[in-house]
Amino acid sequence: MNTNPLYSDNRGEKWLFSEALALRRNLIISITLAVLGGVLTIIQAKVLASACYLIIIKHSDIRLIFPLAGWVLCIACIRSTLSWFAEMYAAAASSEMKIKVRSRLYRSIISASPLTRRMGTAPLVEAVSQGVDSLDPYISRFLPNLALAAVLPLLCLLFVLPVEWRAGLVLLFSAPFIPLFMILIGKGAEELNRKQWVRLSIMSGHLFDLIRGLPDLKICSAVKREAASVVRVSEEYRISTMSVLRVAFLSAFTLEFFTTVGTAVVAVIIGFRLLNGELELADGLFILIAAPEFYLPLRTLGLSYHSRMQGIAAAEQIAPLLFQENPEIHASGTLPVPAGGLIIAYEKVTFRYPSGRGGIVGADFVLPSGTITALVGESGSGKSTVAWLLLGLASPEAGRVLVNGTDLRDIDTVDWRSRIAWIPQTPFFFCGSIRDNLIIGLTAVDDDSIRSALDSAAALSFVESQPGGLDCLLGDRGAGLSGGELRRLAIARVFLRGADLIILDEPTAGLDRQSELLVCKSLKNLSFGRTVLVISHREETAGFADRLLRFIDGRVQEVSISEEYGNA
Amino acid sequence: MRELLKIVMAVRSQWGWMAAGILIGVAVIAANSLLMAVSGWFIASMAVAGVTKVSFNYFVPSAAIRALAISRTVGRYIERLVTHGAAFRALSGLRIWLFLKLAPLSPALLERYSSGDLSSRLRFDIDSLESLYLRIIAPLFTGVISIAAATLFVAFWSKPVAVVLFFALIVSGLLLPLALRRLSAVHGRESAVSAGELRSLVSEGISGGAELILLGAVEMHAEKIDALSARLVSSQEKLASVGAMAVSGLTVSLAAALTGILITGAASVSHGEMTGPQLVMLLLFSAAVFEAAGGMPAAMQMLPAAKESARRITELADAAPPVPDPLSPAPLPADTGISFRNVSFAYPGSSPVLSGFSLELPKGAKVALTGRSGSGKSTLAQILLRFREYKGSVTVGGVELKHLTADDLLTLISAVPQNPHIFNTSIRKNITVANPDASNEEISSAVYDAVLDEWIASLPEGLETMVGEMGCAVSGGEARRIAVARALLQKAEIFVLDEPTEGLDPESERTLLARVTRRLKGKTLLLISHRQAAVEIVDTVVRIG
Repeated sequence: MNTNPLYSDNRGEKWLFSEALALRRNLIISITLAVLGGVLTIIQAKVLASACYLIIIKHSDIRLIFPLAGWVLCIACIRSTLSWFAEMYAAAASSEMKIKVRSRLYRSIISASPLTRRMGTAPLVEAVSQGVDSLDPYISRFLPNLALAAVLPLLCLLFVLPVEWRAGLVLLFSAPFIPLFMILIGKGAEELNRKQWVRLSIMSGHLFDLIRGLPDLKICSAVKREAASVVRVSEEYRISTMSVLRVAFLSAFTLEFFTTVGTAVVAVIIGFRLLNGELELADGLFILIAAPEFYLPLRTLGLSYHSRMQGIAAAEQIAPLLFQENPEIHASGTLPVPAGGLIIAYEKVTFRYPSGRGGIVGADFVLPSGTITALVGESGSGKSTVAWLLLGLASPEAGRVLVNGTDLRDIDTVDWRSRIAWIPQTPFFFCGSIRDNLIIGLTAVDDDSIRSALDSAAALSFVESQPGGLDCLLGDRGAGLSGGELRRLAIARVFLRGADLIILDEPTAGLDRQSELLVCKSLKNLSFGRTVLVISHREETAGFADRLLRFIDGRVQEVSISEEYGNA
Repeated sequence: MRELLKIVMAVRSQWGWMAAGILIGVAVIAANSLLMAVSGWFIASMAVAGVTKVSFNYFVPSAAIRALAISRTVGRYIERLVTHGAAFRALSGLRIWLFLKLAPLSPALLERYSSGDLSSRLRFDIDSLESLYLRIIAPLFTGVISIAAATLFVAFWSKPVAVVLFFALIVSGLLLPLALRRLSAVHGRESAVSAGELRSLVSEGISGGAELILLGAVEMHAEKIDALSARLVSSQEKLASVGAMAVSGLTVSLAAALTGILITGAASVSHGEMTGPQLVMLLLFSAAVFEAAGGMPAAMQMLPAAKESARRITELADAAPPVPDPLSPAPLPADTGISFRNVSFAYPGSSPVLSGFSLELPKGAKVALTGRSGSGKSTLAQILLRFREYKGSVTVGGVELKHLTADDLLTLISAVPQNPHIFNTSIRKNITVANPDASNEEISSAVYDAVLDEWIASLPEGLETMVGEMGCAVSGGEARRIAVARALLQKAEIFVLDEPTEGLDPESERTLLARVTRRLKGKTLLLISHRQAAVEIVDTVVRIG
């Protein structure tokens, strides 16, 4: 999975640990509070044991028991408060880390050119949202538990050893076996666990694949047959997972085994010491109650092993993205963009992706000013690459992109970008008034200019019919307006910005006839004196263009609209 | 709750395993509590014996301690295996149940869900239901049964102590989690909503990056994401706080139980109703049995999320089929002439796509359907495939489509849909979906007629090349031709091909159309295309819209 040379194998956990070090203040407070709570637990055991001693051996009056019982309750209240604060400090540490890492991660991803991304959008979105959240248990659970497993058992021993050293020794010697066996078994389980995750995603992928292909399965009368394969794949998954779990549960088994046997041996030793009158019941009972507390932090650590795995898995995804090289997209030139209409010429332009898929080969074509040129091709045919190169998000491997005869590489990037506009299928709108959305990034635009831009984009009438007109609030991503209306608003935005090259992605996809006509009308208005490039994956949706370029496997063919479509 | 019940009913066949897992869980808790009880009683009795010098038979209790220690450890291992096994069996039952439920809903109903939404329902929600049994049902049932059994056990020795223990267990296992659930439900919903918003905002920022750069809005968007991230993290912190309260509450109620037992027990001992060692036994037993209640708050906290997943899954599964099968289906006709009479269709909430459309396709006719985008060509194909309900009349061999089951009808028809799906498997299996037993000769002739032969020959692994989402990527044109080969291998009388040549250069396009028409001699062909080449090879051209 990992192909980043900057990133070596266990960098994930190292990076995560270094992030945790930056949060040490909250983590140390959390651990200190938890240790205090641990000490109180031991004291509580002592009080409880003394109370039993008084009742059983001394036959004390019940009134002597009341204060001790009160202490038990009192200590428990303090302990529970301490544990709540301990959890909250750990949570605060992890919150701080999540906010910081997410912010850095997102900025690091968007600062890299989309052309050099090694992953699709979906895994990147996963990394920023769910991935960062998965770091939480490592910081808020695993690290504190690790510290507690090192400190609390020793503290417990400090209390037990002076009272009854034999029992103390049993505890001392059984304890190291727990981490030892867990590490031994855990190593194997870790590897198996990884494989298992792959299998899980294959299984859920299989079902999803079949469901998306249901229409095809129905056509092929193959639904029942494939249902059998759903069962088969799930059963295979169950059997392989269970064989993994049988091993993984062994580590839990070891843990339980040493804890239980340790406690049992301690009980028997104490019993015989008591029988011989060499130990007081108060001390014996204290050790018996304290014994499970001795093992508890180790067991908790064992249970939070999963948190560690989860955190490391996420860190391995995130760390390389944070530390990726961000090659300068390409050095900006210094020449200004020529004023007026733009004639774009691709001269034998080649650009290929490292994956070998997509890209363009020796593309030779011209986008004249004042026309709408449609670029049509299946996904992966290279049509988006043409757009990316125009936006200056990458430079061609071979050949040149010329703007009125000047190589794009020599042109000032900031100036160039201020002259182009990009309208995707779902244009970007934020929560705010229509006016604010139209003048985003611009200063001092009067309403008359906005109205005339809206008029040219065939958008004035619907904007004025909205409550509040220009002040009407748009929801996120323009919720409240139809797809066609949003695209016309985006076109109005282009009129306002005065861009000279406009790239549109599927401007009429998903529109009904009426809105399609309106969008086409505003596009026609836009094309006067401007260069318009429409990219689309179906030829028939680009029927309104003046020229049609067809992309097949990275190569361009100019299509004569009248010949290919005959009477159509 | 009804949604959860539906999910539980869907996996009825696994109830036996599920119950076994719960019972073994109860046995493990019993072994552990008894281990502590016997140990406590043993120690106290040994101390009493040591003081009073009365002889005490220590063989039985020390043997019991060893036996309980081993049965607890081994029992826990077996419990884990059985519960996990049951969870996976249930999950595979759930998958097949959902698949069969969804089959009649595709595509008319499923397309209303965005592919991201559908994918998260089918992947995330189904997987999260894995935890329904393991993390919710099993701990809750184990907890309730253990509480009842523990109370009965203690009541055998001392009724007042049993009452104290029962109340403490009910408070920590049921009342406390119920109270906290209200708190956590609010924050849980908040965090789910923020997480969803964050996901779409991040996805917008990453995929729409170019537009944001050109608008100069990159930083503005990033700050919005930061603000949302802070909101999400703060509601997660509040959830963590509720979780921590559950832990703290458990500590206090355990201590309250021990205090209560100590006092009532001390009173019983002083009245001679109970011996001292028995008091120690009950104290340690009670402390250990709290383990059963300990799993319940977490289970209750997960309940709302599981309910939401179950709701999202059952909402899909319970939808009424958009194209229902007839109650008493008509037999398949012998003739395969098709006739559309006065057919109308509108997508919900839109103006009609087709209105009053009529067309006759006698058996063996070759007809091309052309027209601008959105004119209803593909809709017509989908009506014929029974993917959409229609108004008016469509008959095959004189029988109304509504009187046939979709399964029967589709044995007559073979089709290349508008957006064919390529399955995550080899090219060979993709081509033989309809006909897994096709011979190599049959496959290569279909591959040849679909003009896939050269492309497949150029692949190092040929027909065995893996394609689809996880395999080698195929272009849209290749995908369409794989679908053409798939359709040609099907033994059908009627062929509906929707834009089979899109993405092909004109020369290959003509080759494909020529080979396909030669192969389909005598069969009915409905060819949907906007290209000139398609118009040339058919008998009749129908313009629509």
